[in-house]
Amino acid sequence: MEARFNQMACPEFEVLLEDHLTGDLSGADAKILAEHLEDCVACSAALEHAAPSVQLLRAAPPSADPGPGYSRMVMARIRAEISKRGEQKSIWQPFVSLAWRFAATATLALALLVTFDAVRHVQYDRQTDLAYVPVTETRDLFPDPAGLPANRDEVLMMVADTNHGKQ
Amino acid sequence: MAASASAISLPARARKREEEAELVRLAQSGEEAAFEELIKRHQQRVFGLVNGILRRREDVEDVVQQVFLKVFVSIKRFDLRAAFSTWLYKITVNECWDYLRKKKVRPLVYETDLSEEQVSRLDGVASAERPPESPARQAEARDILEQLLDELPERDRELLVLKEVEGFSVQELAEMLDLNVNTVKVRLFRVRARLMDVYQRRVGVHEDHSAAKGRSKTDGSEI
Repeated sequence: MEARFNQMACPEFEVLLEDHLTGDLSGADAKILAEHLEDCVACSAALEHAAPSVQLLRAAPPSADPGPGYSRMVMARIRAEISKRGEQKSIWQPFVSLAWRFAATATLALALLVTFDAVRHVQYDRQTDLAYVPVTETRDLFPDPAGLPANRDEVLMMVADTNHGKQ
Repeated sequence: MAASASAISLPARARKREEEAELVRLAQSGEEAAFEELIKRHQQRVFGLVNGILRRREDVEDVVQQVFLKVFVSIKRFDLRAAFSTWLYKITVNECWDYLRKKKVRPLVYETDLSEEQVSRLDGVASAERPPESPARQAEARDILEQLLDELPERDRELLVLKEVEGFSVQELAEMLDLNVNTVKVRLFRVRARLMDVYQRRVGVHEDHSAAKGRSKTDGSEI
């Protein structure tokens, strides 16, 4: 643990140290790191410590290509899997179509019910419209005797009637 | 490997990408031959990626096939704005992590110390200019290296193996793991140090054992 602590590099130089290890460092960055390494014991030690890992990891070869026939094999498996999924679907297909038919019938029935109800409401409203006579119309049929006089003559007539009654 | 990828000239890379985009378009329209060509082009890298994360478990091939099946089913949703490889590698990484989560795979644990012979071979590998050439030696070196890698944190180990063994570039790793390029580099540098800690401890432990054995033998002969 102590050894690791001593080998901790400056955080701001870790990217450059990694680039240096993998050979991806050049130009100004390489110069900056070289100057820093001259002064920084911790970074120098960390670099020295990590450097053999590059060689060590080369011991492991990369995964081999599975070969030219592999893609054909994968495609065969994909086809098999897709058709299997299709078959699984087809097992449920009759139930699914039955459910759809039921849903469609129920929707149609509901629509008919709503339409019928709406039509009935309209008819009922028309009937009640006939039974209902607005106030203005009733006034025309049965004029209010105590209504206001419409012109000057009516006023005079009303006054005459009143005076006549008194006499 | 990463170097070879970056060595491809820009026009060649652009042409390759355009070719690949055309294959993707054909695959999206349902042409199976185009999808098979895409598999051919990427099978090795997908294999390497799965191998790097699952570490040569027996299900590597199943997971690879599952990846391609998933890609086949969802290729219509791929919008060609990103590189097909980036999308494919992201699916692969997620599939591997799903697999590890579902299986609740325990990390492989190597209880035994390295043998004296293994240590000397490992020493040879660490100081050699080139990796061992015979397949048997390569397999053995890889086995020993696996024991060392096993002591590293899982995600850091993946990063190191994918970069240094399977040859993925830092840029590719950053894209497939949704990390910043510099974060990947910092993590790589730190995990290298950790690997060397494990290496030195293993070799050191072995040297201590050998020294103790030597001392006890000497003591015995003296008595």
